[in-house]
Amino acid sequence: MSNLAPNAAGPAGTEAVAPIVRMVGIEKHFNTIPVLKGVNLDIRPGEVHVLLGENGAGKSTLMKILTGIHEPTGGEIVLDGVSHPLVTPRQASDAGISIIYQELSVINELSALENLFVGRLPVKRRLGIPVVDWKLMEAEARSIVDRLGLVGLDLFKPVGEMPIAHRQIIEIAKSLMKNVRVLVMDEPTSSLTSVETERLFALVRQLRGEGTAILFISHKLDEVREIGDSFSVLKDGVSTGHGRIADTTNDDLVRMMVGRVVKQRFLAEGTIDRTSMPVLKVENVTSADRRRVRDVSFEVHHGEVLGFAGLVGSGRTDLMNCLFGAERRAGGKIILNGQDITPDNPVEAVKSGMAYLTENRRQTGFTPNFTIEGNIAVTKSVKDAPLRGTWGLVDRKAERAVAEEQRRRLSIRCAGIDQSILELSGGNQQKVLVGKWMSIGPSVIIFDEPTRGIDVGAKSQIHEIIRALANAGKAVIMVSSELPEILAVCDRVAVFRNGRIMDILDGATATEESILSVAMRDGK
Amino acid sequence: MSQRVKLGKLWDIYGTLCILLVIVVLFSALSPTYFTRPENIVQIFLQSSITIMIALGEFFPILIAGIDLSVGSVLALTGMMTAQLMVAGFDPTLAVLIGGIGGGLTLGAINGLLVNFTGLHPFIITLGTNAIFRGVTMIISGASPVFGFSYDFVNTVTGFVGFVPVPVIFALSFAAVLWFFTAKTRLGRNIYAVGGNKESAFYSGIDVKLHTLIVFMISGLCAGLAGVLSIARLGAAEPAAGTGFETYAIAAVIIGGTSFFGGKGRIPSVVIGGLIIGTINNGLNILRVPTFYQLVVMGGLIISAVALDRLIARMR
Repeated sequence: MSNLAPNAAGPAGTEAVAPIVRMVGIEKHFNTIPVLKGVNLDIRPGEVHVLLGENGAGKSTLMKILTGIHEPTGGEIVLDGVSHPLVTPRQASDAGISIIYQELSVINELSALENLFVGRLPVKRRLGIPVVDWKLMEAEARSIVDRLGLVGLDLFKPVGEMPIAHRQIIEIAKSLMKNVRVLVMDEPTSSLTSVETERLFALVRQLRGEGTAILFISHKLDEVREIGDSFSVLKDGVSTGHGRIADTTNDDLVRMMVGRVVKQRFLAEGTIDRTSMPVLKVENVTSADRRRVRDVSFEVHHGEVLGFAGLVGSGRTDLMNCLFGAERRAGGKIILNGQDITPDNPVEAVKSGMAYLTENRRQTGFTPNFTIEGNIAVTKSVKDAPLRGTWGLVDRKAERAVAEEQRRRLSIRCAGIDQSILELSGGNQQKVLVGKWMSIGPSVIIFDEPTRGIDVGAKSQIHEIIRALANAGKAVIMVSSELPEILAVCDRVAVFRNGRIMDILDGATATEESILSVAMRDGK
Repeated sequence: MSQRVKLGKLWDIYGTLCILLVIVVLFSALSPTYFTRPENIVQIFLQSSITIMIALGEFFPILIAGIDLSVGSVLALTGMMTAQLMVAGFDPTLAVLIGGIGGGLTLGAINGLLVNFTGLHPFIITLGTNAIFRGVTMIISGASPVFGFSYDFVNTVTGFVGFVPVPVIFALSFAAVLWFFTAKTRLGRNIYAVGGNKESAFYSGIDVKLHTLIVFMISGLCAGLAGVLSIARLGAAEPAAGTGFETYAIAAVIIGGTSFFGGKGRIPSVVIGGLIIGTINNGLNILRVPTFYQLVVMGGLIISAVALDRLIARMR
């Protein structure tokens, strides 16, 4: 499983089937900075090929070359046996290559039907005037949506009102209507629940059975193992291995991606004393609408990480917003080390030492017009300043020192702290945000989906940070939809459903099955 | 890193200045005898001072991805209040404090509070208050100009220090204060953060509503001070004063490279943006271009200047 020579043949057992696409020795430079240094990739029909690699390893660039968005600097792309120095978006589309990005490209304001036919609405003539042929559209769309398992879907509803899983299926349906032969899926499960993921996998298997080649990009090793047939690994723009998933262990895959062995479990080492006063005590918190969060109470003890598991939409993020004062409450108390700090808004929360790494980096996390330094500094500045964070001058020297310290501690990969945060990979952006919250020296820290869309290496680093914070006596709460992550980090797991804690399980003995059975238990 | 990035960064800082220089060279060539005379240069600064004052205020709502369309009416109403207070026998200093500064801050606060409470886009709110403030100006003045205030006031505000007119000194020193404010204070930086992403700012512990209020108060204050300058220059408070000034203010801010999407912009460039507007007006007057044609040229130049800026930004 070590490095293979360039031009090496595909994995054993599949040579019989000719690849639809071969990418050979692909190179790409951006402003003389090499991003891809001779990458090989074979995509075969009827096979799920998994592309693994940390953020910044070059996966997205490789995909953009495949779909014609970027021109390669070197190498060749062989489509159905014909060699091209580069493909244009048109050629890619003619060859049946279709990509589903992590950020879906469906238009939320349009109905499912309009989305499926966007840019090529069928017309018929009525009194000589061309009008949209809705009947034809509906019939065609219905057959394809049914085939994808969305029987009875309201095709006339704006997709913005549908769950993400449905939007994704509509996106897939869109590709299928164009007679797709190679379907690239970029982290398709990152915002799906486990049930939805299972349904998607069934669909992927169905497409594979029909002879479609699937290129699947993911960070989650468990699902890679479940869905993948073969794999390729990229690290720093170089192919570091490929082969059959079945012949390779997870540890091997991680080593190829990261170049070192990564620790998998981060539970507390000693026993946690749950008899003394808890660091954080939450009493009867209810959201203003009395529906999304209902009468939630729990405690977090010294040295403990409390996890919140549950289905997407069960109200976990709403609860965190209520704790942080970002959402109005109907009632409830938040007590830190015996002192009532219940914040009415995030300003008060920050002032009393709460930190909240939100679920969505882009929407509620970073400030896009700021550098790394600015992003780290701004919250500490608010916390330190009187008059609700407005009074006083910016101390650049001190702030640079703080930002530098966080950059070193969290090993944020960047050109320097003056770099714009937009230029960083997702994992490094997340580390900047972790650094921002660490710099205020918080007593309570909430991590909501801290590793969503982040690679294995950065992930384990963030897990280590979470554990270190708990060991330092902070109250640490982690919300995650990835059960393996919950089990790897949390000492106790609160299972959330319909705005309530259904049960709190012991992290050392909990399993994915035991959590799921509570999360999906019927009755209220 | 690359040449292009460097060029882009330089353009961010000096781009507006380049546009100004090009315009100056152009008018100098077209009117070699008159345009470059020192008196005319002073005149350009003087004519630009009110535009610069309003633009300095307008910069802040645009910086948080909003806008303030009411600045022209705020100028008229604050000017009118100041004038009426002076005519009623108030000491000019007190009249300026109450009518110009107090009035400007209050009208700005009304805008800010309405934005905060309704959650509507500032475009809608200030479109409404623009009409309301203008209406109130008409009501309190009976739609006729107010004049007859003290010579002391007029002479002080329209006087000179050396060869520099007082309004110019006033506008430039106010710009310096705001530059320091945006570049060095926590409040200033928080406003940039709100402009970059309101939700991130909210979750980072920045009181977004408080900052929105402050932003509109600054805008109101600047328009109020411009109102005082305006009545001193005219020697009268006109109920229709400042009509359409929001266009010039917005143009100056945008020509000054401020992003309409929020979070990006610099005070010195806004000052130069204001000077560009003033220079174009002055140059066209000297060339005896009729007012109607001036409007056409002005509009065209605004579009070209911003288009050029975006073109260069995209080259990065």
